[in-house]
Amino acid sequence: MRISSNWLRIDLRGFIGRITSGRLPTRVLLRGIAAFVALVPISGISLGASDAVPQNLLRVLAWPGYADADVVKQFETRFHAKVQVTFVDSDETLWEQMHRGSPPAFDVLAANTAEIQRYTQHNLLAPLDVSKIPNTRLQLPMFRQRSTIGGIEHDGTVYAIPFTYSSMGLIYDRKQVSVEPRSMLELWNPQYRGRTLDFNSAQHNFSFAALALGYRDPFHLTPAQMRTVTHKLIELRRNLLTLYTLPEEATALFVEHHAAMMFGNYGTQQIELLRRAGVDVGYVIPDEGALAWLDCWAITRGARNRALALSWINYMLEPEVSGLLPQRQGLASTLGPASGHAADNGKHLFWIQPVEDIAQRESLWRRIVSGEPPERFPR
Amino acid sequence: MKLGLTSQLIILLATIGVVSSGATGYYAYRANRTMLVNEAQQSLLTSTRLLDQRFSSALHDVAEDALVLAVMPSARKISESVEHAPPDGRERLEQVFMSFMQYHSDYLQLRLISRAHYGLERVRVDRGPNGVIAVPEAGLQEKGHFAYVFDTLAVPAGHIYLSPIVINHEAGTHAASGRPIVRVGTPIVGTNGANVGVLVIDVDLTRVFARLARDLPQRDQVYMANQWGDFLIHPDPALAFGFDRGQRVLMQETFPVTKPLFDESGAQMTISGYEHRRDGRIYAFARTPFGAVEGNRFVVLGLARPLTAVLVPADALGGRITRMVIVFSVFALVLAILFARALTKPLHTLASAALRVFDHPPDARLPTERSDEIGILARCFDSMCREIRLQMSELHSKQRELAHLAGHDALTGLPNRMLFMEKLAAAIDTATRTGQRLAVIFIDLDRFKQINDQLGHWAGDRALTVVAERLASVLRASDMAARLGGDEFIVLIVDMQSAGVVEEIAMRIAEAMNEDLQLGDQRLKIGASVGISEFPADGLTAEELLLKADAAMYAAKSSRCGMHRRYQELASPGAVS
Repeated sequence: MRISSNWLRIDLRGFIGRITSGRLPTRVLLRGIAAFVALVPISGISLGASDAVPQNLLRVLAWPGYADADVVKQFETRFHAKVQVTFVDSDETLWEQMHRGSPPAFDVLAANTAEIQRYTQHNLLAPLDVSKIPNTRLQLPMFRQRSTIGGIEHDGTVYAIPFTYSSMGLIYDRKQVSVEPRSMLELWNPQYRGRTLDFNSAQHNFSFAALALGYRDPFHLTPAQMRTVTHKLIELRRNLLTLYTLPEEATALFVEHHAAMMFGNYGTQQIELLRRAGVDVGYVIPDEGALAWLDCWAITRGARNRALALSWINYMLEPEVSGLLPQRQGLASTLGPASGHAADNGKHLFWIQPVEDIAQRESLWRRIVSGEPPERFPR
Repeated sequence: MKLGLTSQLIILLATIGVVSSGATGYYAYRANRTMLVNEAQQSLLTSTRLLDQRFSSALHDVAEDALVLAVMPSARKISESVEHAPPDGRERLEQVFMSFMQYHSDYLQLRLISRAHYGLERVRVDRGPNGVIAVPEAGLQEKGHFAYVFDTLAVPAGHIYLSPIVINHEAGTHAASGRPIVRVGTPIVGTNGANVGVLVIDVDLTRVFARLARDLPQRDQVYMANQWGDFLIHPDPALAFGFDRGQRVLMQETFPVTKPLFDESGAQMTISGYEHRRDGRIYAFARTPFGAVEGNRFVVLGLARPLTAVLVPADALGGRITRMVIVFSVFALVLAILFARALTKPLHTLASAALRVFDHPPDARLPTERSDEIGILARCFDSMCREIRLQMSELHSKQRELAHLAGHDALTGLPNRMLFMEKLAAAIDTATRTGQRLAVIFIDLDRFKQINDQLGHWAGDRALTVVAERLASVLRASDMAARLGGDEFIVLIVDMQSAGVVEEIAMRIAEAMNEDLQLGDQRLKIGASVGISEFPADGLTAEELLLKADAAMYAAKSSRCGMHRRYQELASPGAVS
């Protein structure tokens, strides 16, 4: 059963295309070398990770924007080390990566305070000797009072050093949304059906939906609340264009599909990207309050070269490196006061905490994302 | 150490031979290598293009399937149905989907998704672990929020949507879960002309490539990257879809030469080359457009082949060339030795001939018959030798003549006094050692002065000559006669068997001297006085013997009896001859 019509042929040719033939570059093959010897090897080609981990290799687990290539390069030069960065796009991925090997196959990681607390409880992190991270003295006093920040200190031992933070507000296109939205519930507004974007992650979606529903504690939902939020999230899914994981991906989708608004998981970092892409976006902390994260650097229990890992954290807190956060990412650094949208962080924020049952949220979310209709979830 | 001409020539010629054969062999080897590498590059490029075309045509086939299914009336009917799909139509379509799935082993999912109901799947057939599964209505999901649904709905009817190539993470997709897939979608047009649903086929990329690359040589490695360079296919599966695990592995970093393929312009569509390492690879990459939805999308396909596999014939040839070069070098060495020796042998011959110019017979080995420069040299040398030999022989004959003259009397040809005295001394020596005896006979002509005065010097000379001849005729071969000067002759007798021998000879001499002598018209008698001395009885030296013989001769002369006298007779008183 085949069809052959003109439109089909023309169209297919359009997208599959033909391979244009190129000319072979003429290469000078002969080199002035002695008779019958092997070819002179040129630049070696590395194919990623090898099984043996050398002493000067630092395995970093980080989020996009935390370890840009130039920053890594400078560290490698200064400490005569090789840095292998693995990027994560959600807390779930981070958790998966940390559990790929035991002890974890990474030396340092960046995670929010809630995750740090979880990792500490699971005995995945190594205690930090803050005196070996002298740049912590440059941090604002509120970030140096580590005992007051939930999650990074445990039984008087420090496990993580704050690095950057952001609220997770609502991003909207000022051209399409004339009135500033006041609640996350705007994402459910049928007026914007197929023009909203959400982050593909279980924890935050349940939390911000709970906030939008007016629950007091978005991190600890009762079974009844959980059921309600689940249905609320199915409604959200039905109103969405799609889900994103990376900030760059979110920007591309926002631009290409003329999205009206989105949940800003990366917060102020995304505004910067959208502005650069030429979109006139607004950022708002909803009246019900917004989630906020504080990402910290920590050393895993599997770290082979702790001195190098400490150097990395100290390096991250150097003014030139931390300074790149506001400059490039639109994020706040822990060294100076926040400015611009990052200053909105002062508003009604819920610093994220470990949730009641991550596994439950994740399993529900997987089903929601895959498109299960509401009838298949208990009311 | 100074090397001889032969060694120098051998070294020079052998070096020329070895170097020239070595250089020829080396360049033949290099040229062969280059040719093989170029050929392999060309063939890889062709294979890559072929793979590209096959990939494109494989997607084309999937697209055709999608389009065929999308235009089926039941597909439209089901997409447009408001609540539940009409069961009979749905079942029939499900059967069609299942047969398609059975026919195409690389299809993982075949779905009809309606625009209504938030992109609810209306018909879905999955590949399960034990064959094709038709998913019941209770298991269908809402997919409206996936790009392959809303993007496909956005393309015009009869057009195709191609999703990016990703790892499938959707829950409940059976065998498709965790597989690298590409989704091919096309819209379903409703009665009002608007798109009311989509038909989506999930294709297993690994299986597609396993099929496409089936007839490629085992040693060839297949690579594919998306437009950012992320590997989608890599011989090491751990390096494909790195972005899905947070670690990007990029083609332009693994193969830096592919960078231009990922340029914005995309002007360059193919690249081939090889890594300059012993364990390097030959590779060919081609960029091909992929999907039209987001404009400038493409994939880069590549093939790599280990250089060692390509160069196996070159290495074999290299081995043969090496052996050939060794054989030719040995051959050159032998030739050099032979040639050098052939060149220097005549020189050695000439040199040895120069040392033996005066040998008899002369060296006949000179290469005079040669027609070359060596022949000329040999002939010149030969004539020079002959000239020298001629002159030398003349010189020798003159020397011999002079020596004869020095020891002989010019008139009679008899030895003179000097030569006689030498011989006498030598004979005394011999006799002293052997205990033999010998005797000296002194002869003085009696009437020589008269002949000389009366008949002139010519007659005197003639008389002396005849005397000499008569002396020679009476003497034995072992005896020796000499002229002492004037008319005095002397004879040495060495072989004395008995005392009588001397007496007998002396008598014969006296008789010979008394014979008539014909001088012109006169006949006359010359006569001679003869004295004998004997060794060892009369003396032990030549001088003594001569003096005593002389004394005996005088005694004979004064007795005037014309007889000979022995010295011993003079010494013993009263003795009379």
